[in-house]
Amino acid sequence: MSRAELGPVGVYHRVVVYLLFAILLLPLFGTLIYSISSSWSATILPSGFTFKWYLQLWSDPRFLGAFGQSLLVCVGSLILSVVLILPLLFVVHYHFPKLDALMNILILLPFAVPPVVSTVGLLQLYGSGPFAMVGTPWILIGCYFTIALPFMYRAITNNLQAINLRDLMDAAQLLGAGTWQAAFLVVLPNLRKGLMVALLLSFSFLFGEFVFANILVGTRYETLQVYLNNMRNSSGHFTSALVISYFFFVLVMTWAANILNKDKSE
Amino acid sequence: MSYVSVQHLQKNYSGTTVFSDINCEIQKGEFVTLLGPSGCGKSTLLRCIAGLTSVDGGRILLEGQDLVPLSPQKRGIGMVFQSYALFPNMTVEQNIAFGLRMQKVNADDSQRRVAEVLNLVELNDFAVRFPHQLSGGQCQRVALARSLVTRPRLLLLDEPLSALDARIRKHLREQIRQIQRELGLTTIFVTHDQEEALTMSDRIFLMNQGKIVQSGDAETLYTAPVDVFAAGFIGNYNLLDAESASKLLQRPIDHRIAIRPEAIELSLNGQLDAQVRSHSLLGNVIRYRVEARGVELVVDVLNRSAADLHPDGQRLALSIDPTALCKVA
Repeated sequence: MSRAELGPVGVYHRVVVYLLFAILLLPLFGTLIYSISSSWSATILPSGFTFKWYLQLWSDPRFLGAFGQSLLVCVGSLILSVVLILPLLFVVHYHFPKLDALMNILILLPFAVPPVVSTVGLLQLYGSGPFAMVGTPWILIGCYFTIALPFMYRAITNNLQAINLRDLMDAAQLLGAGTWQAAFLVVLPNLRKGLMVALLLSFSFLFGEFVFANILVGTRYETLQVYLNNMRNSSGHFTSALVISYFFFVLVMTWAANILNKDKSE
Repeated sequence: MSYVSVQHLQKNYSGTTVFSDINCEIQKGEFVTLLGPSGCGKSTLLRCIAGLTSVDGGRILLEGQDLVPLSPQKRGIGMVFQSYALFPNMTVEQNIAFGLRMQKVNADDSQRRVAEVLNLVELNDFAVRFPHQLSGGQCQRVALARSLVTRPRLLLLDEPLSALDARIRKHLREQIRQIQRELGLTTIFVTHDQEEALTMSDRIFLMNQGKIVQSGDAETLYTAPVDVFAAGFIGNYNLLDAESASKLLQRPIDHRIAIRPEAIELSLNGQLDAQVRSHSLLGNVIRYRVEARGVELVVDVLNRSAADLHPDGQRLALSIDPTALCKVA
């Protein structure tokens, strides 16, 4: 019997937890009901249930396009961040530990500057000239990279500090492994947990990102959130179906990642 | 020609000198210990020998070959770390086989050799466990097995017992020494624990502030410290300056002396010019603080019977074995 099941304190703890869940899930539940009701306006309960909104949504080529484009931009920026940040972290922690303090300041920048402000800057920089990228997915990938940076850096740094990087590298090298071999065979597998957490966090954040996508690219390369915004004047049932589909997708992704991430040694 | 020869080794860290001229010779099959307080440069010396830290001058010869230009992978040296440094993502078996995998030893040979060393460290039943499922002592035995399986020319142990509790430390100490003797493996052991150094080593290099202060077998180091540092670091020496020494021994002495606490005898017969200030029972030994002729001394007496127990304030006669007086610099 766990401690939480004992006495009135346990009851109190449970109430707090359930209440929190209720507050978090209630709007989602409402949206779900709305998305499967045929109409729900002047009555307490919906007049009937239907899947037609979902059918309509998932047969709309514009939605499928936006969905795919969102996925592409997110996955692209995450691949870019893994490819750049992993070696960066490795170099910082293995060769130049003092740089960590500087990095901790740098990674705060994407959060310190409000998105609306940085979009204005990005528009000026990349609106014309040799790097004219505004309106293309490339600028979103680059921009999303900076947003993913803090998540990735923090999560993986915590993981690195937990594994005693230096001793592991030293041990592997004395056993005959080159730096690359040691990094791939010994360090990388032990960063899997931190990396997965970082990727999931960044993905859910980026998949729902609207401000940058709308201002920098807009309808020229429509992402899911921009599509949702453009559909705001259509039926509420339809947009509810969109929101639920979006949540469901992120949920399935998270769940699948968790399954894949299960440690076989535990 | 000695098996390992460190010549004029020099190491600086961002402007400060860790050591500037280290020289030592180690014979094949010898178990030597680098003993010293933290920050004395002993671990850095070990890392230099392993190739994990670069050197700024001097040579390290192993079987006549200079190791300095070689990468750690090519030195043929095994090392055990205080933190174990086991690979968390691999089982015990995979950890041990890692070195063989890097050497591209074929699967059958690898399996046989892993089984051999697992047997040596008595961990046959733990082959498929992960490091986080083992105790500290077991982890360190896996680390030892991992460094032995590649048949290194030289084994380095960097405070391998410091993270373990006392009972396991004692047991592992004996096990390491036994395996080392069995394999005739030349070993350099780093520790700050004098008891570990005295019980395990063929020879001890006592280090302080980047210098080897004294070297020799345990007996020599314990009975004949060369200076105040050596006397202070090993044992519980009474250190007396020339003035106190003259007062205590009642003859003119012009140098500092060190007296081991167990070289002083207390008795109730003779000139009772010493007095017990305090005492503590350490088990088989009673440690007295005694004042004699205005000098305070620590005296260890074997706790053989109730007659050896003197109350505080008791007046006693004190005799010192003259051969136990060490002149120290």
